[in-house]
Amino acid sequence: MSRISSSGICIPAHHAVSRRSFLSDGALRAAGAVTVAGCFASDMGQIHALRSEEVASELRKQDKRVILLWLAGGASQFETWDPKPGAKTGGPFRAIQTNATGVHISELLPELAQRMQHTAIIRSLNTKIADHGGGADLMETGRLKDPGILYPDLGAVVARELGRLESRVPDYVSLYTSTEGRRKGTSGFLGARYAPMFLSESMIPPNIARLEAVSEIDHHDRAALRDALGRRFAAARRSHTVDSQNSAYQRVNGLMASAELFDITQEPAEVQARYGPTQFGHQCLIARRLIEAGVPFVKVARAWWDSHGQNFETHQELCADLDHSMSVLLDDLEQRGLLKNTLVITLGEFGRTPQINSSLGRDHFASAWSCTLSGLGIRGGVAYGKTDPEGHTVVEGEASAADLFATILSALGIDHKQEYTVGARPVPLADFGSKPIAEVLS
Amino acid sequence: MTLNMGIFCRCLLMAVVLCGSPVANAEDLLPADTDIVQIIDHYIRQHLVTVGVAAVEPADDLTLLRRTTLDLAGRVPTPVERVWFMSQPVPDRRRLLVERLMNLPDFDFHQRNWLDETLLPNQPYHDEFRTYLLTAVQGRRSWDTVFREIMKAGVSEGPEKGAGQFLRSRVRDLDDLTNDTAVLFFGVNISCAKCHDHPLVADWKQDHFYGMQAFFQRTYQTRKASSLAERPFGEVKFANVGGESKTAAFMFLTGEVVADRTPQLADEERKQLEERVRKLEHDDAEAEIFVPEFRPRDELVELALHETKQRFFARNIVNRLWARLLGTGLVSPPDQMHSGNAPSHPQLLEWLTSDMVSHGYDLRRLIQGIALSEAYGQSSEWTSGTEPPAASTFALAQTRPLTPRQLGASLHVVIRSPEQWPAIENTEEWMKRRMELENQADGWVREFEQPGENFQIAVDEALFFSNSGRVQDDLLRDSDDRLLGHLKKIEDPSQGVEQLWLAVLNRVPQSDELASATAWLSRFPDKKDESRKQLLWAILAGPEFRFNH
Repeated sequence: MSRISSSGICIPAHHAVSRRSFLSDGALRAAGAVTVAGCFASDMGQIHALRSEEVASELRKQDKRVILLWLAGGASQFETWDPKPGAKTGGPFRAIQTNATGVHISELLPELAQRMQHTAIIRSLNTKIADHGGGADLMETGRLKDPGILYPDLGAVVARELGRLESRVPDYVSLYTSTEGRRKGTSGFLGARYAPMFLSESMIPPNIARLEAVSEIDHHDRAALRDALGRRFAAARRSHTVDSQNSAYQRVNGLMASAELFDITQEPAEVQARYGPTQFGHQCLIARRLIEAGVPFVKVARAWWDSHGQNFETHQELCADLDHSMSVLLDDLEQRGLLKNTLVITLGEFGRTPQINSSLGRDHFASAWSCTLSGLGIRGGVAYGKTDPEGHTVVEGEASAADLFATILSALGIDHKQEYTVGARPVPLADFGSKPIAEVLS
Repeated sequence: MTLNMGIFCRCLLMAVVLCGSPVANAEDLLPADTDIVQIIDHYIRQHLVTVGVAAVEPADDLTLLRRTTLDLAGRVPTPVERVWFMSQPVPDRRRLLVERLMNLPDFDFHQRNWLDETLLPNQPYHDEFRTYLLTAVQGRRSWDTVFREIMKAGVSEGPEKGAGQFLRSRVRDLDDLTNDTAVLFFGVNISCAKCHDHPLVADWKQDHFYGMQAFFQRTYQTRKASSLAERPFGEVKFANVGGESKTAAFMFLTGEVVADRTPQLADEERKQLEERVRKLEHDDAEAEIFVPEFRPRDELVELALHETKQRFFARNIVNRLWARLLGTGLVSPPDQMHSGNAPSHPQLLEWLTSDMVSHGYDLRRLIQGIALSEAYGQSSEWTSGTEPPAASTFALAQTRPLTPRQLGASLHVVIRSPEQWPAIENTEEWMKRRMELENQADGWVREFEQPGENFQIAVDEALFFSNSGRVQDDLLRDSDDRLLGHLKKIEDPSQGVEQLWLAVLNRVPQSDELASATAWLSRFPDKKDESRKQLLWAILAGPEFRFNH
């Protein structure tokens, strides 16, 4: 944190004072006093959560974080977390013993196999929806799409529950630089305040750096001038929307200062080398930098796992990247003491079919597939749930998308049953009837 | 006139208070031939008396000029319009302004944009749909006509082709088709009644949701021409909470049911028809569209337009126009018109609904009536330390965020040099400028979010204004044709600041603002031009410009 504040736009104090003559008028200053206190009121708007603010602020103080590694297109559970060597549906790869007694995973993930003490595998997801759009809608929000209401995704919910209103860093960053299946993510009814900062074109967010044409002094001072000139107007309106504009501008400097978080060349060469040369590796390193600086939710999407053809070659390549990048990430978080506060999730829109098709591919499959949770709030070394010997169905511990969301929220210490009220409609954080999977929670 | 009107209203007020019925029914309402503005003022005042709230002062004339121009023309006023407005005789100013604005091409563009944003919120900027809407608005088509054309859309070419986009954009998702129609045309959200009877609203049963769905279930899109068509048969089946399977009737929200007149066909005939529809739906080959005799969507239109029980169709558009111009609907939120969510002003809503029907769904009439009402003309400022009155009293004007198009067009109005505008009577030249503005606004709309319920301005917008090259290179350019170029030529700094304030905020600066702004301009004597740019930035990025107030 200290690195960010020390690298913010810094202007010598005597400069700032002498240039403040334009603000010297008493009236503008006095009018300002009213709004500055009220400018974060937008959060108290009409989306009430039925919980005490004390509990919420206590939660925010605990600096809990989430990194979601999104395996876009749908990774095969057979080639990752639920191998079936020797079965008709098992494919060519072996299973290997992990450092957790009795837990085997695919040989394509050898480094992760040695780090299972942090990780719980859930092998019993039955989420039913096996098209990319519908599957992603479901697995991003934990519930079925509903006409007439736009649900926020996991990132937006976490940003709202764990983000600090006065934060100088973004509270939901989403990296997705591939073109296949690109989705921005949505804050739905929670509003634009919790929408992701979405990086799709480059690894640096748009409009985050000052233009050379505007001097540092002008950039800083004109913001203060904007603020001063707008105060009387805002003070005479009791409007959450008007206040939200001020909140947005007040976050600009902090976010600009956080631009350096996206610059991995600021890391020691040795650290960069550890994460390796792949884009996914770079993005995992950015995620670690963001988390370390206090960003509550970072999503890194890795595409494209949609292996309708050549499933095994595809997984050889993609699993190597996942195995290495995620292992380095877990080690790095642990060494920095961050893993106890950070939940790392691997998830996608669905898994892949047991049947191997004529192009040696596996198709979409949502009836019996896997995901993982590591770090914060998780009982490591556990493989929860069971599929039949060929992986067609869940035979033990069936879990829905909503159950998974309840589990994730519970790991973060958030009551999954608490409700937002949207219009007249109660919307629980995890969908009605969901149950956390106690066996994977620490 | 004002005096007479006051007496008239007080008398009416007493009469109504004596009658004293809280429920609106036709007998209680004021006569249908009363002036619509007087009606609005009367019922709003009556409610204020009942709840013991006093309305704030009326807004000043320049504020009202900006507000009305934004609402009826979709942009802020030009300097030429400001001069014209202030030269009109005081008692007639507002009326003349509203009349003028409603006869500008601007009104049609803005009306089209509003309909587009309302009806295709998730898929804006669809060219054909926008062309259709503009044609309909320019042709002064009534709202029921537009509804008919949108709902009955089938095979059509030319400017009418776009009418089908409402259905076409939702045809792959029957739930969306059903619920969006209910929300946007009838003001009710029945999605909660999909899996069970609505848990909170006694009005909505599963039968209503699936009943509405039945009207759309046969709709499909042909593969070759992307035309909308209807299958000659098909029904909606659903399971209730008890697991019992039911077939949905063609049931409207009022509970009224259309008899299923699907012809009984012999097996062979049915098979042939099925094959024909399958080809239309899935094959690339050209084929003539089969139009069945019994068309559920047509039935829905006729039922909705002729039901007299609840008049969902008329009430919805009254409420939506009201919400658009006053910030809050008479029923709020606008998709919750049901018995558990009473209107704030039931008699006013009933009167306006009847008026909408009896005047042939003429939206212009209601827009004009609202724009000339007292409630519309109130100040939006609340400086007292106490809580402001509830929005539903309409005692205080609401501060409303500009839509992306209002904002885009307004930016391009204010950055232009005041010398660049045609004379007020030069309507031909104005039409050209307005088209230009519409195109310029198009280029900016994607930078801003469409406001919705509980709208919040995102940090992306603040970052965009703070660091985008478009803002710096375009909005802050100081060439001769620009406001900044014009201001460069003015030597007296106070005069320059005054012109800047008038151009951007449509008012003269207050003394403290004038002092701050002139101090700002002189802070670096050798960089006056740069300081002027940043001063313009500070008010363009500020709340007063960003909102309609």
